[in-house]
Formats: sequence, C-alpha cells, structure tokens
Amino acid sequence: MLTSRPRWPALLFILGLALLLTALLRDLHFGNAPMQVGQAINGVAAHETGAANVVASVLLAYRGLDTLGELAILFAAATGAGLVLGIAFRNGNGEAQAKTNTEPPAGFILRKGADLMFPFLLILGAYVILHGHLTPGGGFQGGAILAAAFFVPQLARPSSPFNERTAHWVEALAGASFVLIGIAGLAGAGWFLAPLLGTGSVGELLSAGSIPLLQLAIGLKVGSELAGLMIALHGPKET
Amino acid sequence: MNASVLMIALPLLAAFLLPLTGPLARWVGPFAAALNIALGISLWQTVAQEGPSVVVMGGFAAPLGIVFRVDTLAVLFATALAALVLILWPRTSADPRRESALLLILLAAGCGLAFSGDLFNLFVFYELIAVASYGLVAASRERLAAAAGLRYLVLSALGSAFALLGIGLVYALAGTLNLADLSRHADALNSPLGLAAFALMLLGFGVKAELFPVNAWVAEVYSTATARTTALLAGGVSKLALLIVLHLVLLVYAQPAALSLLLTLGLLSIVSGQFAGYRAADLPRMLAYSSIAQLGMIAAAFSVSGEAGVLAGLALALHHLIVKPALFLVGDGWPKCVDSLAGLGRAEPWRAALFVLLALSLLGIPPLPGFWAKLLLLKALLGMGEPAWNLAAAVVLLGTAIEGAYLLRVLQTLFRGTTNAKPATFGGALPAGVLGVALLLVMLAATPVGGALQRAAQQAADVPAYVADTLGGSPQ
Repeated sequence: MLTSRPRWPALLFILGLALLLTALLRDLHFGNAPMQVGQAINGVAAHETGAANVVASVLLAYRGLDTLGELAILFAAATGAGLVLGIAFRNGNGEAQAKTNTEPPAGFILRKGADLMFPFLLILGAYVILHGHLTPGGGFQGGAILAAAFFVPQLARPSSPFNERTAHWVEALAGASFVLIGIAGLAGAGWFLAPLLGTGSVGELLSAGSIPLLQLAIGLKVGSELAGLMIALHGPKET
Repeated sequence: MNASVLMIALPLLAAFLLPLTGPLARWVGPFAAALNIALGISLWQTVAQEGPSVVVMGGFAAPLGIVFRVDTLAVLFATALAALVLILWPRTSADPRRESALLLILLAAGCGLAFSGDLFNLFVFYELIAVASYGLVAASRERLAAAAGLRYLVLSALGSAFALLGIGLVYALAGTLNLADLSRHADALNSPLGLAAFALMLLGFGVKAELFPVNAWVAEVYSTATARTTALLAGGVSKLALLIVLHLVLLVYAQPAALSLLLTLGLLSIVSGQFAGYRAADLPRMLAYSSIAQLGMIAAAFSVSGEAGVLAGLALALHHLIVKPALFLVGDGWPKCVDSLAGLGRAEPWRAALFVLLALSLLGIPPLPGFWAKLLLLKALLGMGEPAWNLAAAVVLLGTAIEGAYLLRVLQTLFRGTTNAKPATFGGALPAGVLGVALLLVMLAATPVGGALQRAAQQAADVPAYVADTLGGSPQ
C-alpha cells in the first residue's frame, strides 16, 4: 500500500529539512554558547543543595519536576507496553506461551555465572544509587543495574521464579514516595520538591538533604519497572 | 497557588499507586479527576481575586529553577482538561488498571503543559502526554489501531526530536529556557538561526497540534482508536500543544517572520483539512479532517499579535474542545460510511438532533457559540491590517464554505429515507449529552463567558507583567 503512494512529498520534506539543517550548520558557532544558567548553577549548587555532584543537584533540586516527569514517562512507556502486550497475548497468541514453557535452561557456565553475578550486581546498583549525590551515577543508572541483576537469572533459567507482586509493590511505593517527598517539601518549606533535612557537609555520604532519598526512590522504581518490563517482553509467565 | 502543583502531583501519585488499590482501582481515576476540577475551581477564584501569580518549584527562583505561571488561561485549560477526562472516563476497558494509569498520567501532563513557564519543562510534559497517548491509542480492541498507533509513535518521536533540537538551539543562542527570561533575550533569537529554531519547535509541537506538514497520523488514528480516546486527543491534547506555541509567539517570537510562518502553516492546515474532509467518505475520518482545519484556525488566530488574536484562538479552542469530542461520541456506533447513515435521523431522533446541534455550531451558525468564535477570528485577522492576514480571513471563509458543504451533506443523509437497521447502542450518550448541554449553557451565558475569556486573553497578552511576575520579587 505504501509503495503505490507518490514519494515526492517525502522527498520534498527531506529536501526542506536538509536546507534547514545546512542553514543551521552554516550559522551556528560551536564552543561559545552563552551558558548563563549552567554557569550560575555551577557557582551556587554545592552551597545551596549540599550535593557534591552538580548533575544530581540539577536533576533533583533545580529541575526536580523534570525528573518526576521523566520518571512518569518511563512508567507510561512500561504501562503502555504492558497494555499492548496484554492484548496481544490474550488474543489467542498461544505460541508465545508454549515457547516459554519449552525453552531449555541455559548451559552450566551461564547458569552458575548468573548466580555468581547476582549479589555483585545488587551491590553495584545500590552503590551507584546511594552515591548519586557524590559521584556520577544516581537513580536511573543504578536502577538499570538493579534491573539487570534480576533479569540475568531469568535469561539463564527461564523457569526461575520472579515475584511480580513484590516488584509491583516496590515500584508503586517508590514512585509514590518521590511524589510524597515533593509534597512534604510543599508542606514543610512551602514549595513543591523543596530540599529538606538541611544540606549537611558537602562530600559526606549523609549529606545533600533529601536528594539521596529521591535517588533511592528513582532507583527502586526504575529497577523494578525495567525488570518487570523485560520479563513481560520475554513472554507470559504461567502463574 | 500551590494547588497548581497538586493538580500534577496528585494524579501522578494516584497513577503510581493504582496497582495497590485492588478493588478500589476503578474509582481512583475518576476521583482524582474530580479532585483536579475542584482544585481548578479554587484556583480560578484565587486568580480572579488576586490576579496571576508564579509558583517556584523547590524554592529555586527563575531562571535557575522551574516556575509555574498561574493565570486565567492556564487554570481554564487545566480545569477543562480535567473535566474532559472525567466525562470521557471509559466504562469498559480491555485492561482497566493500565488504561486508568495512562489516563491519570495524561491528566497530570496536560496540567503541566497548561501551567509551566519553562520551555524544557514544557517539553518533558509534552513528551509525557505523547507517551501516555500511544498506549491509549493502542488500547483499542480494533486490530488496525495497533498499526495506526505505531505510525503515530514514529511520527511523534520524530516530532519530539525536532522540538528538542529547536529547544537546544534556543538554549545555544539565548542561554536560558525560562520563558520570561527568554522574553528579555528575545533579540538573540531574532535571526535566521532563531527562526529556524522556531520552525523546528513548530514542527515538533505541531504533531500533537495537528499542524499541516506533520498531521498525517490524525485521520488514521482517529478512525481506529476508541471514541473516548479520540475525543480526548482531538478535544484536549491538541489544544494544549497549541498552547505551547501561543506562549512562544507571545513571549519570545513576536517577530513578523515567525508570525507569518505560523499563519502559513495554519492556513495550509485549514485548506488541506477542509478539502480532505470534503472528500472523506466515512464519518470519523471526516471529523478528523475537520479537526485539522479547526486547529489550523486556532493557529491562524494565534499568529495575530496582541490580545485580539489570543481571544479569538481561545474562543475557538474552547468551542472545539466541547464540540468535537461530542461529535466523535455521537458518531461512535453509527455505520462509518456516510452513505449508510440514511434514515438514522428518524430512527434515533434525539441522537441525530444532538449531532445537528453540534455540527451547526462547528460550522458557525449564528446563535450558537461557534459563530462568535469564528467572528472573533475574522475580526482579529482583519484587525492586523496586513495583506497576508486579510487573505487569511478569505481563506477562513472559503474553508467554512467547504466545511458547510460536507457537514450539510451528512445532515441531509441523516434525514433522508428510512433504515431497517435496529438502533445501535449509544454508548457515549451521557458524555455527549453533557457536552451538548455545556454548549447550550455557553450559548445562554455568552456575556459572562466572553468576559472571562477577555480577562484570560488580557492576562496572557500582558508580557511585561508576565516577565515581572516571574523574574522580579521571587523568593531567595
């Protein structure tokens, strides 16, 4: 059907776009952008938020609402995918079900390797999340590592259990606690997502007020959500 | 004023907690939407008494932090969206829990789009509303909906990339993304490069706003998704995307070249939408093309600088927000092909009467609100006193003539001959009826409604006050 349509509008669109981008490249001077906001934040971030990692202070203090939005985008994407997959699997798509059941377990090395990696992935994920306000990393990155920790055993041994109920609980409570910390800021300091608990001394593990708590909420939510999504994509489980 | 933040935080909280609510799950969503309406009404009263104000996220003043601008316009759209979501809440669904979560996210993101005064924050909420709508479109039981949803996703993702590129350019040129701060640095964007950034953002935000070159998804999605999802996308989401464009042209891009570009895209939307509507053989597609044309008219209104343009665009947007969802609901369940509608006017007189009322208002027949909206548009366009905008007025009239031809064709078919088919179930009777009554109420209360819109337009067009509210007198 698509091939019978005339292609010239698409060609015209691409030509126009190319013209636009060429004009951009001609006029744009790289390397000397007026980074007003960035420089201003660099100057005050450590003092105002107590976070040694300036990126974390931007993500969770100055632009905390954006991060809540990103968290919700990930949630919406996972929910939408679950919705579509649910309908697809229910529409008599029995072969996916059969495939999961007959999939043979992986070899000895892969299975033992997965078992061995599990605790290390957990520790690494927790470390990246909890040190998000000090070093590069944080909730999204650490959450992805946590998700991998739970998904790798599933790949090695498809029949091994994954407690979806617990994952749902963790995900829901972690997401809710991000919003509730924001509302606590509203009640305590008068502004949504206002930093709480003081700044502490910059560079300490226990510093930067509520930023580590928000990192933890993000990490748990992203971790449980990604793990649940990957397992859902892997096929329906018999429960 | 912090109620504006709660209008986003509470639906998100409800969406996150939805899996844990068990048997209460089906009540959580409507309750959150009703709560948002109540918050919106309380904000409306506060704004009426104290004037517009600014809410600072986390206490970090603009331009470093994110700010919400709470004025009549924003409160109006946030409340209208909440009301639309509540009215259109699905009664049955393939997967109630997930669909409710997506609707709640759409509600939160829509309120964010209405209130936010920061370009990047607007982009985040735009993206959020987009991702929520992909799932809702694909939730239809119809097989074609999945394909339509996929194509919608691809186009929408392309649009988001354009918008992000445009926003990146704006930051590279002006060094800030707060709308009020950008308004002070508008000169930095008054260059070919700045205009290119505007064009990119227009292409990006134009996907949801159904603007001319990037609206290929509209007819396909609206004819396959469920009527309630279609009503929500055509009625609510598209207006919120145009609201971003309005903020951009009011505060940042008041330059003639940008306005001409917006006007051009608006006019092309009107012409292409009306002609495609004339050729459409099935009702949902016809309504979808008519929606493209109506949004083109709103874009044309926003291209008029000053209060008159805002007022006209606002009136058109709110009118379309009431009428188009109701039309989609009335048409849902009827045979899709226009020729098969013959005789339904006698078989289902009330439903057909509602359709006639809504179609006539869409067309702009005098006592109905649609007439006043179109009159305001023509006045605004002619008030610019420039050849291009005079031509635009002519295009709007021509478009209305074509619209009249195809809408009257449907009405004529409805009341021609008889049908043997037994009356289809009218699943959307309640929401369509509520919207029809709302239309009649607006008609009866034209004067106070007009006054409120005037106030909203006045506040929105008052750029110096916006900038002073946001950047002066902020805490810390």
